[in-house]
Amino acid sequence: MNRRQFLKASAGASLYPFLPGCDQQVLWEKEAFLKAKNSRVAILAAEQYGGSLQDTVRRGIDLFRLDVKGKRILLKPNLVEFDPKGAINTHPAVIEATITAFKTLGAREVIVAEGPGHRRDNEYLLVASGLYDVIKEHRIRYVDLNTDDIRLTKLKSNFTNFKQLYLPETLYNADLLVSMPKLKTHHWAGVTLSLKNMFGVVPGSVYGWPKNALHWAGIVGSILDINSSLPLPRFAIVDGIVGMEGNGPLQGQEKKSGVLIFGDDLVAVDATAARLMKIEPRKVKYLDLAAAFLGNLGYEQIEQIGENLQPYQQNFRVIDNFAYLKELVD
Amino acid sequence: MVVILEASHRKLWLMLQEAVKILLTSQNPDGGWGAFASKRSATEITALALLALQAAHDNAEEPALRKGKEWLIKRQNADGSWPLNDSLKAPSWSTALAMIALSESGQFEERLVKAGSWALEQEGSKPGIFANLILALTFQKKAVQLNEDLIGWSWTPNSFSWVEPTSYFLLALKKTKRLLASKTLEDRIRQGELMIYDRMCDNGGWNYGNSTVYGDQLLPYPDTTAVALIALQNWRERKENQMSIRALAEMTKSTDSGLALSWSAICFSLYGQEDAELRKRLVERFAKTKFLGETKAIALGILAIGNGARLFRV
Repeated sequence: MNRRQFLKASAGASLYPFLPGCDQQVLWEKEAFLKAKNSRVAILAAEQYGGSLQDTVRRGIDLFRLDVKGKRILLKPNLVEFDPKGAINTHPAVIEATITAFKTLGAREVIVAEGPGHRRDNEYLLVASGLYDVIKEHRIRYVDLNTDDIRLTKLKSNFTNFKQLYLPETLYNADLLVSMPKLKTHHWAGVTLSLKNMFGVVPGSVYGWPKNALHWAGIVGSILDINSSLPLPRFAIVDGIVGMEGNGPLQGQEKKSGVLIFGDDLVAVDATAARLMKIEPRKVKYLDLAAAFLGNLGYEQIEQIGENLQPYQQNFRVIDNFAYLKELVD
Repeated sequence: MVVILEASHRKLWLMLQEAVKILLTSQNPDGGWGAFASKRSATEITALALLALQAAHDNAEEPALRKGKEWLIKRQNADGSWPLNDSLKAPSWSTALAMIALSESGQFEERLVKAGSWALEQEGSKPGIFANLILALTFQKKAVQLNEDLIGWSWTPNSFSWVEPTSYFLLALKKTKRLLASKTLEDRIRQGELMIYDRMCDNGGWNYGNSTVYGDQLLPYPDTTAVALIALQNWRERKENQMSIRALAEMTKSTDSGLALSWSAICFSLYGQEDAELRKRLVERFAKTKFLGETKAIALGILAIGNGARLFRV
């Protein structure tokens, strides 16, 4: 990476609102992270939000033999904002299929939780997005992570100066956190997938909207520090049936990809999702750094199961500032 | 309990009764209110619950009201600020809401002066030289178009000014202005107002704080727009206010939520545009969702239906 590329990566990842620093020392508690040598990621075809979606989601979860019997499962979709003309949110049909899958697998409780980054109006977001009907139908709890009771959590990495973050109590009372992002490009971070989706667990009541304190501390560092320090195991299901390209995460355009992506290594899931968008994951700064301690990013380290990657790859447009992400390495 | 109600509609009356009952039963044993029943008491929520009970009761000694005020008073920090809740005692943006809640009674002048002084010391930050340098060095298009020199209030210390906290602080300072003898008061109010106008969306109304990102317009939100307009109520004849009140009327046509409809009803009332249809929809919404049990929305619903707009008048 030359100086120009470095500056672009730093600034692109840490742009507005006006960040104090871009080049952090790589610091994490080495003993806290035992990265597997290889990871598995499943790409399953799903052409639409209906039909056999239920079966597809179940098949994707089954591939990872998750032990969820008697467990409390926390689903964290992307409900950052709602626009009737856009494809911002994880589709409620994917969330519903996931609720059903975990229930039939014997989960003690399935909860949907989100701390919307932009809107404070949960009722509007839930009703307008269609998620309210799903929650009501399945008689499950929705937790607003923005206003949940909080617990001070020591961070296991130090990419920001936070050292500790207040996190919602609900995270401490669940057994598995399922990150359910939308397949999208992002105008500050390059891409927003299962790792970036975790911004939504950070309480807005403490850190403001649009999670402003995290932006000031550095988006890249915040993504890493949050994901390194969540107090429970994670799984990811990416809604790539219809994604978003261009000026995401809110104002981009719909892009059909016809896939769901599953995995228990969130770095590997996001790397695969980036490749599906024809974006080079090594050039997404937070993914590149995460690969050092949180999970696997290299093509050769990820066992692809389900569908092959190539037939489903789509050229997702990025904003000019992230044009360098389109220079693919493999 | 004597309920002060201008509207005589039975459905309004029934909603008000039920909402007050929910609010009273969700009060925590410590006297405060949390975001939802059984959640820990928080300053923002307790302040709004107190305002709601003030609107719905004519008895200041009503036990729930008294206990709530005690909760709030006991939480004030030595520097005059209020914490977010008992888990996080550092000064917070919710100080503005506490000021508004205590500003009506006339009993807490010393506390309000202290809080006002603290509020005037708080400033949203500007981008550093480093951030601007990075943009210049990498020839990157500036993402947002706003006047960085206009300073309002931020959600957290040392971060950017945003519309909602700035609106709360403007309202709090305007309501307590007569008590505050600071030289900077008028200037901060003026600059906060200019900051809000600067962030207005092209067709009126406000998003959380930017109007555009990379040239694409952001959607205005009804709740943020209503809160901003309430903070700017003394400029109601300005064209920006008029454009935004029309934008709010348009937004509320397609937004059904307790939070949005309640803030909007309060705002319209302060702008002399009582909207019976909006209140009717608020009642219908409450019947359908009970505002998801969110204490804040329930409290605002009481304020909207129960002539509570007067508590936000400056």
